[in-house]
Order: sequence, then C-alpha cells, then structure tokens
Amino acid sequence: MLDGAPTVLRRTLGGLLSASLVGLFVLPLVALFLYAGAGGLWEAARNVGFRISIEFTLLSSGIAVGLGLLTGVPLGYALARYRFPGRSIVSSIVLLPVAIPHLVVGLALLLLFAPSAPLGRLALSLGLPIFDSIGGVVLVMLYVGASYVVLTSELAFRSVSDGTVEAARSLGATPSEAFLTVSLPSAARGILTGALLMWARGVSEVGGFLILAYAIVPGAGWNGPPTTTASVYIFNLYGTVGLPGTTSAAALLVLVALAIFLGVRLLDRSGFAWARGRWFS
Amino acid sequence: MVLLTALEVRDLEAVHGSFRLGPIRLDAGGGEATVVLGPSGAGKTTLLRAIAGFLPLRSGTIRLDGRAIERLPPERRGLGFVPPDLGLFPHLRVRANVRYPLDLQGHPDRARRAATWLERFGLGRLEARYPAELSSGERQRVAMARALAAEPRVLLWDEPLAALDVESRDELLRLLRTVLEAERIPLLLVTHDPAVAFGLASRLVVLEGGRARFDGPPEGLAAGRLDRFAARFLGYENLYSLAELEAAHDAGLAPRLLAAAGSEGIVVPADAVRWTGATDGGPRAEVAAVRWTAGGWVVAFRDGSLTVRSGPSRDPPGVRVGDRVALRVEPEGWKPLGDAR
Repeated sequence: MLDGAPTVLRRTLGGLLSASLVGLFVLPLVALFLYAGAGGLWEAARNVGFRISIEFTLLSSGIAVGLGLLTGVPLGYALARYRFPGRSIVSSIVLLPVAIPHLVVGLALLLLFAPSAPLGRLALSLGLPIFDSIGGVVLVMLYVGASYVVLTSELAFRSVSDGTVEAARSLGATPSEAFLTVSLPSAARGILTGALLMWARGVSEVGGFLILAYAIVPGAGWNGPPTTTASVYIFNLYGTVGLPGTTSAAALLVLVALAIFLGVRLLDRSGFAWARGRWFS
Repeated sequence: MVLLTALEVRDLEAVHGSFRLGPIRLDAGGGEATVVLGPSGAGKTTLLRAIAGFLPLRSGTIRLDGRAIERLPPERRGLGFVPPDLGLFPHLRVRANVRYPLDLQGHPDRARRAATWLERFGLGRLEARYPAELSSGERQRVAMARALAAEPRVLLWDEPLAALDVESRDELLRLLRTVLEAERIPLLLVTHDPAVAFGLASRLVVLEGGRARFDGPPEGLAAGRLDRFAARFLGYENLYSLAELEAAHDAGLAPRLLAAAGSEGIVVPADAVRWTGATDGGPRAEVAAVRWTAGGWVVAFRDGSLTVRSGPSRDPPGVRVGDRVALRVEPEGWKPLGDAR
C-alpha cells in the first residue's frame, strides 16, 4: 500500500505509530509520579505497614521465582529437546495460566488448598500452610507466572543447536556435564528473561491473592507482622482512602519494580557479552 | 609403509526415520584421510553420527584400535566429532572453547596445551573473542583446534569448510592435512563437495542411497568402470544417456557417440571438445552460449538436441552466440558409461 510512498513518509508514519504505543506505556507512569510528587513518595517510604508489605512481596516473589526456575527450566528443556507422547498437550497446559482470569485461579486453588480441602490439610500437616500465608502467595505467583519461565526456557534451549551438544559430548562431556557446561549457559539469557517476566507478573498479581492469600499471618517462612502483598495493600488503600492516598504507595512500588528490572537488565548486558545482538539486546 | 588401521567399521547398519543405511564397511588409519563423498540424502551424516555414537546401530561393529566401541557412549569412544555447524560454544571465548576438553579431563597442563593449539591454528590474536565475532574461516579453525585438543584417536568431520570461498578452503585443507599428518591422527570426513574430497582423500568412499558405490583410492574412481553417478562426481559436464543419443541419432555427433556408448550412455570430457569454422568438414553445431567463468571462457554448442560444452580456456573463443561451427570430439576423449553393449 505504501510501497510507492517516499521513504521519509513511510518512516514518519512508522515512527508515529511506534511512538504512540511507547507513549501509552510511559505516560500513565509519568502521571502517577507527577501526581504523587517527591513528598508523596517520601511519605509512602516512611509508612511502616507499606514497607513491610513490599518486603513481604519481595521475599515471596523471590521464593516463587526460585521454584519457577527449579521446575520450569527442566520442563522447558524437555519440551525443547525430547519428543514424547502428550508433548503437545503439555505445551498447551503450560499456556493455560496465561489464559485464565486470575480471580478464577484464586478460586480454583482455594478449592484445593483451603484448610478443609484434602491438599490444604496435607500441606498443613507438613507445616506448610497455604491459606492466608506466604505459601498461598508463592503458589499463586507460581501458577500465574511460571509459564513465562517454561516458554522462554524452551525457546532458549531450542536455540542451542544439536551440534553444540554433540560436540561437547564427543569432547568428553557426559550428558549432565554437557547440560551444565553448554546447554544451560547458552540458554541462560533466555531463562533470565523468563525469570524477570515471572517476577513482574507475580508482583503485579492481585486477583489470586484476594481469594487465597488476602491477609498474611506470620509463619511458614514469614516472620514479620501480619501483612498483605504490596499490590493488595494498594488495592485496599484505594478502597479506603481513594486516589490521593493511593498514588504515593503505587508510585513507590513502581519505583522498586523499576530498580529491580533495571538491575537485572544491567546484569543482562554485562554478564552476557557473548549474546550481544541476540534476544533482547 | 604399512599404516595401522585405527578405526574399523564392519557391516554397519543404522536407521534414521525412514532412511536405511548400510551395510557399510570402512577403515581409517595412520595419518590418512578417508573421505565419504555423496549427494544430499546419501546417508553421509547418518553414517558419521552412528560412528560417533549419536545414532544407535541396527547391526555391525565399530572397532577402535581393536577395541569394540559401538556400545560405548559418545564421550567414551575416543573419537573427535565436528558437526556441520561446528558446534562452537557461543558463551565461551575462543580460548575457553579450545580449553574445554582439557578442562573436562582435568589436564594438569591445560592452559599451556590450549595455547599451543591456538598458536598452531593461528588463533592466538583471536583467543579473547567469542565465536559470534569470528569469520567463517576462523570458526573452522577454532573447531579444528578444539577437536584436536581433546587428542582423539580419529577425527570425524561432517561437511567441513562448507561456507568458505575457494582460497580459504584450500588454505584450511592444507593446514588440516599438515597437522593431521604431524599428529598421525586419521581423519574420516563426509562431504558432498568433490573439490574437498579430492583435495584431501587418501581413501575415497562414494555413498549413494545408504550404500557404498565405490571404495578405494580417489584415482581409482576415474580409472575403473565409469558410471553416470561417478562421472557426475568427477566433474564431467557432457553426460548423455542412451535415450538422449537415440533421440538425436540422425544429427551431428550423436551417431558416433551412440556407436561408442556403454550401457548407461557416454561422457564427453569438456576438454576433448574442439571446433573450427563452419566451412570445415564435420557435424555443424550452433553456438548457444559464451560465458566467462573463474576457469576461463566456456562455450556451449547446440548440436541437434544435444548440448555440448567446451572446457574452460584462457584464450577468447573467437565465436559469438548464433555462429555456426564444425564440432569435433577426439575419439580417445570420450568415455563410455556403464558396461560395454
């Protein structure tokens, strides 16, 4: 359609369309920070209750990402490397959590893990309470976010050629040595991206927590006072004090998330020099 | 000189999907290069992967220095294997790539030995680079250095030097031959490229449809019974089947070629084709194309329904497309294909 148009026109149009989306991403955040102001941010930072909820969110999301890597990377590897019966079904199941509304995730998990439900009773007997505890938060985060680790791991392992692994084997590496010294490091950048996406998804979750882990009581890994996740804290604040009192806390949470995101991106750029030009350089 | 056979493959059969390979018999030993030549789909890669241990055998034996290795995992076979994509580790610098097998072995002198191999392949100044920062030729040299650093008993190489220009390829072939002869490491290489095969092979195996069509010294391919398959690999241009000759039997060169043809037809080497002005005697042909190639001028003639190409010549051919000429082929130049009729 635009083949006959001058290059300047095509580039201008492409630039405007792209800039409009980038603007959509950035402008709400700018509005949030302007509305909150530096004073508001400082006030939110001095709020002990909110600081505790951020601390709790970072702890639970860290545990969830760890478990996501522990389980998601082997699954991603299996999907990338092996042909097995039911492989396409497993691939589809991995995508399920992305498609299900997260309030529904909370309800479904509640059916399984409520203190009176069989799995809930089993977890309690093992000293791992789920309902209204850090276990429930981790479980929801794992459910809604681990798909990203599996998908990016699968993609990353697919990019490691058979030849690379076979060369390692013929050079003397056992299958596990070839995995640890060649496949895993070669795929590390993709896996890190998946971990970052999972973490971001977990921190931004609300619906699942409202049902399964609304008010967190101490125990089973959380030794602080009763709290909520930061996202639920902001949700509650909005319901009680309205917009003016909420934006400061929301802006502070965004600031913490951005700091972590940029930190990982810096590690990504400095630690993966070999992969320049690949993935998200 | 008697060269000891390091690798002995006997009655090897393997299945990859619907493709069936073998039975194959193969030897590699001394500082020799055994080259398996064949078109795409002939089973070259299947053969090499089966020997390297990445594809289970259906039957047969593989012996290395007399020891049966067909049931051993790849890492315990003592064979170096370079895959078609070279398999360089993208996250490791050149130095670490070459050191990799030595690190696995826990070699006490790994740093010095890796440095020696790097120098030997002219990689000293590139040792701090990542594979993605290297040219195709440099990557090939890293793959060679790394494979040899593992001190394999035999080096297996799948389609090497594929993405290289002729000059770089010849330079690397010379380097590889020198190092392998010095280290007395036999090479088993598979390729579809006759130039690589004839540039390196001390023993040639021609593979087609999963079976060996020829096994012997490379010069034996031209000396023995010539068929269409072998003629294509020997680079002959003018191959005519009996059907083609019979269809053109009443025109130009065809009657004489048909009379001399074997059961699979005849080949007329391009350098045996001569032509003179149209007023001279002999069959008439029309110049169909005149083009410059890296080897020189090549002329294609239309002789009835046959196309006859001349060999490359540095001298300008002195004819233009559409000219009529008298075409001649010296009888001692043509070669019957297949058995005598």
